[in-house]
This record gives sequence, structure tokens and C-alpha cells, in this order.
Amino acid sequence: MDNGLIQITDLVKDYGEGEARTRVLKGINLDFECGEFTALIGASGSGKSTLLNLIGALDRATAGKVVIDGTDLSDLNDDELALFRNRTLGFIFQFHFLLPQFTVLENVLIPYLIYAGQVTPAMEKRAMELLDRVGLSHRRDNRANAISGGEQQRVAVARALINQPRIILADEPTGNLDTANTENVFNLLREMNGQYCTSMIMVTHDRELAQRGDRVVEISDGLVISDVLKDSSSEG
Amino acid sequence: MKRRVFFEMSLARRFLAENRAQSFLIIMGIAIGVAVMVFLSALIDGLQADLIQKTVGRSPHIVISNAENAAADAASDVNGNRTLLLDATQKTLRPIVDWRNVATALRADERIETVLPVVDGSGLIRRGQVSRAILLRGFDLEQANRIYDINNSIIAGNRSAPDGAVLIGKSLAEDLGIGAGDPIQLELPGRDPLIIMVDGVFDLGVAAINQRWLVMDQRRVAALLGTGDRISTFELQVYSVLDAELLAREWAARLPDLKVESWQESNASLLSALSSQSSSSYTIQFFVLLAVTLGVASVLAISAVQKSKEIGILKAIGIRTSSVSRVFMFQGLVLGSLGTLVGIGLGLAMSQAFVVFAQQSYNLLLKPVTTAVIITTTILAATLSAYLPARKVSRINPIEVIRNG
Ligand SMILES: Nc1ncnc2c1ncn2[C@@H]1O[C@H](COP(=O)(O)OP(=O)(O)OP(=O)(O)O)[C@@H](O)[C@H]1O
Ligand SMILES: [Mg+2]
Repeated sequence: MDNGLIQITDLVKDYGEGEARTRVLKGINLDFECGEFTALIGASGSGKSTLLNLIGALDRATAGKVVIDGTDLSDLNDDELALFRNRTLGFIFQFHFLLPQFTVLENVLIPYLIYAGQVTPAMEKRAMELLDRVGLSHRRDNRANAISGGEQQRVAVARALINQPRIILADEPTGNLDTANTENVFNLLREMNGQYCTSMIMVTHDRELAQRGDRVVEISDGLVISDVLKDSSSEG
Repeated sequence: MKRRVFFEMSLARRFLAENRAQSFLIIMGIAIGVAVMVFLSALIDGLQADLIQKTVGRSPHIVISNAENAAADAASDVNGNRTLLLDATQKTLRPIVDWRNVATALRADERIETVLPVVDGSGLIRRGQVSRAILLRGFDLEQANRIYDINNSIIAGNRSAPDGAVLIGKSLAEDLGIGAGDPIQLELPGRDPLIIMVDGVFDLGVAAINQRWLVMDQRRVAALLGTGDRISTFELQVYSVLDAELLAREWAARLPDLKVESWQESNASLLSALSSQSSSSYTIQFFVLLAVTLGVASVLAISAVQKSKEIGILKAIGIRTSSVSRVFMFQGLVLGSLGTLVGIGLGLAMSQAFVVFAQQSYNLLLKPVTTAVIITTTILAATLSAYLPARKVSRINPIEVIRNG
């Protein structure tokens, strides 16, 4: 696919050594396009996080390839992968994972700081805009662990967007949140996806939530068992 | 310098600030270690400088003689310090004939402070039933002051007689029961006994000198001994005391017929005692440094475990492994630097307190070089001790952290 952002080809991932070796991903083929909002669903242990980690350049495949924006991840060394994660990807984890040593505003800026070392006024302005977007500009100077769980997750959304990544990977971003906060964070992601034209891949156990994306990919036992594109065709 | 270093430093600072109590304790630990090193160095350097000063202060640094055998001999003073002394009574000295040329050459060497030509002889002095073997020393009193400070050592009588004063050591005077203005009978080998008047009594603080020396002007001694225009030895003081040995070897090469001996040679045992004192001090300092290193390493190892979640998340969002290492190295650097800073202050305070309360006869001496070495080695040790924890923590796999929450 020519305008594809991510191409996954025959992706295989094994865990463990020798006898204990188990194949978790058994040959995944998927393409993602720019600006797509994809929900990744499947039973627990089916390999969703494993797939997300491989797309997220956090782990290396046993076989097959992940090509993002023309870059084959297996061609990159560890430092290059780190840089790639920093510049191209945004992460939102199930457990919000802010740094408690820093303020809310500083946490939003950390992906930029890792890259640039120091904050520019323009970046600080951008961080403030994002905080405003997630409704937390009044919390900017709070310690990151002195705000509620839902607020932390919204800060994590702002953090994932600070470097204007091409792709945001979210592994059960609402898994720890109540209904109100789930709604809140999901709407935010959906809006960001529209507004910044960022591709979104979100793992969720919430089928209803999943239906609200552009596309729903279901994984079972390390294989894609369904891939439904909303308002158009479906493919297997 | 890559700009991301700024972020690494601010991470290091935040991590240290978060564990304030831990950071404070290890900084104090380092500080105490450094204070011990500073105090110990100052104490030992001060003591050694004092010992060397006592040894060479009022004695020649180099003696040049014409003896077949070693002419200079070391004698012990009351403190057990050894002083370069001439004891011609035990050795046969051959006179230095062309001493004027040698003196001119020596005086041209600007590293040499004082050149004192000396005519020595041995003999007896007698008063009533009591007699004592003496060392008759003839030298220019003005010149000799620069080595022996005789002017300020006169305890009875005076040193200004028309044709040069006759001065006698304190113990010798006491043994013979004489004082300034008293006559003594001087017996020199091969000469008739003669009566001379004692003008003054000196106390040079060295037992061997106080017991044996009878001092007169060089020409008068030469006349008494009948040696003519010859001298027995040169006694030198140099500007740089510790270089005396080097200088002595140089002059030994230039004066192949004469024997040139430095205070270091005559005090070999003192010097070896000093050097073993130094090495025991180095050993203590080494172990202090080792303790500092282990302390920093263990604190950072604990901190690395405590911060593994943060490190995992930072790695997931793109911090490099080498950056993480540097964050921990910076922590070592900061702990080491602050600890050293406080430690230097503490060490100076300890030294000051020691001077005030212990009231030793010597002063503490903190050399700039020593201070610089302590500062750099401690900071270096603290930074390097961060290396292993830094390496370990930098290899945290972000997936582990993400999966396990
Ligand atoms: N490091 C590992 N070593 C061995 N097995 C692993 C490792 N990580 C994951 N697995 C196994 O791989 C399989 C897929 O794990 P994965 O985390 O991708 O599942 P998941 O679909 O995200 O499940 P969940 O919905 O519970 O998060 C599981 O059976 C898991 O036990
Ligand atoms: Mg999972």
C-alpha cells in the first residue's frame, strides 16, 4: 500500500528459550494508514501488547518486519530506536506513568526534553495549549503524583502529543479509569486524532469503545482473526 | 556538548532531591571521609615539616670535607632528631688547601644560601681536676649565625671580644663549673697547654653541640692548631632544603677530591621513618576513599532500583541508554562534589580545633597540592563508583516496566 504509514509483514514473536519457547505472534500482516483510528481487541494473552510493543519499537521481532514511514525497524540500533520512538511515536500506557519528580507541565515536556535538553518558550506554549486541551492548565505546577488518576492519564495524553508524533500507541489507556474518565480520555484521543491527523492504535477490552474507532482489528492466539473498517468493507 | 546533557543533569538533580535524606546522609559520609583525609594530611605534613625543620634548621644542609672516611657524623639532640654534625675527634681530616677557590665557586651557586668555611680541631679543656674532650671549631661568627643563630643563643656573657670571642657550650660549661669571664686551660695535641678566657656560653639546643663545642674565630683556631691557611670543612645551607641531596651530588661531581654529604644522607633513618609514616597515611586515605566509593555505589544502587519505573518510562519515550548512565554518573558527581566541599570545610575546622585545643609544638600544614589531590580523587571516585549502578539501571527494559505497572 503506497500511502500506508505502517506495514507489518509476517510478524512473528517468540518468548522464552529452549523448551519454554512459546510463539506469541504467529505471523501478523497488517497495514495502517495516516490518520486512522484503530482499536485492537482480543482476549487476554492473545498478543495485543506484544504487537503494540513491536510497532512501538520497544521490542525486536523474531521474524518478519515492521516498516514505519519507510523505515524498517530491524535496521535500527538501540540508540536509533530510542530516537525513533522519541520523534515518531507517542505512548499512552495503562498505568499513566508520569514522573513524580516533575510537575504536570514538565511531564508534558519530557519527550521534548529528552530530545532537546532545554525547553524553548515556543515549546512551553505548545505544552500549555495541550494541557489546556486536556483541561488541566490549572494543574500545570502540581507535582505529577498530586493529581487524580484520570487527570494523570490526561496528562499522559498531552505528553504523547508534545512531539507531534505520526503515531500514538495506547495500551488500554482507559483500563484503570471509571466510566466518566474513560469517556473523557477517549473523546480526547479521538479529537486529537482528528485535529493533529495522528494515527492512533488503541488496545482495549471495551468492545463498545472499540466500535467508536475507524477500524477494529481483533487478535486471537497470535493471529489477526478479523479486521473491520467502519462504513466500508471488511477484510480478514 | 550535546544539549540533552541539561536534561540529564536536571533528572539527576530531581532524583537526588527526591531522596533528600539519603542524599544528605551520603554527602555527610563523604564529607567525614574527606575531613579525615584533610586532617590526617595536614597533621602528618605539619609534623614532618616540623621534624625536618628541627633536623635541618640549625645545622648545615651539606658538609664538604676532605676526609678519607665519612667526616660528617650525625648526632642526636634531646628530641632524638639527628643533626649533621662534624666530629673530627673520631676521624682524621685532611685539610682543604685550595679552599678559597672552592668557596668562591660555592658562593657563585645561587641555590646555596650560606657557605661557612670551618677549621676544626680536637683537644681537651681542663679546670681543676675536671677535664673534657672538646671539639674546637673555628669559623666566622657572622657567617655562622646564618646557620647556628649563635647570636640569639648566648645565655651568659657576650660574643664580642676584640680579637673574636671564645664561646663554650652550655653543658660543657656546667660540667666544668665555669661561666663567662672564667679562664680555662686548653690542651691541643702537640701543643703546650694555654690559658684562655671564656667570653660567653651558648645553648644551641643540641646536646652533642652543647657538650663538646668550643667556638672561636677561624683565624685564631688556625693559629692555635698551626694549620696555616687551610680549613677542615665547608658547611652549607641551601635555599631549598629538600633539594640538598641533589645539590650535594652535583657538587660531589664538581669536587671529585672532596666528600660532599647532604643532611638526607646523614638522616637516612629519619627519612625512611617519615616515608613509612607517609605511606601509612596513604593507606588510611586509600581505605577512606574506598569507603566513600562503596557508600556512593550502594546509595546509587538503591536509588537505581527505586527509580527503575521512571527509567523504564523514560526509555520507552526515547531516552538513550547512555543518557540514563550519565544521569546516575551525574548523581555520583554531585554527591562527590558536595561531600568534598563540605568535607574540606570540616577538615579545616578539625585542623583549626586541633591547633587550638591540642596545643602541639608544631603547626598543621595543608599543602595546596594535597588538597587538590584529595578533591580530585574523591570526586573522581564518587563519580566512577556510580558507574556500575548506572550501567545496570541504564539497561532496564522498558517493556518489563510497562507490563508490570
Ligand atoms: N516476556 C515474556 N516472556 C514470556 N512470555 C511472555 C512475555 N511477555 C508476554 N508473554 C506471553 O505472551 C502472551 C501474549 O502477551 P500479551 O501481553 O501480548 O497479551 P495481551 O493480549 O496484551 O493480554 P492482556 O489483554 O492481558 O494485556 C501471553 O501468553 C504472555 O504470557
Ligand atoms: Mg496487554
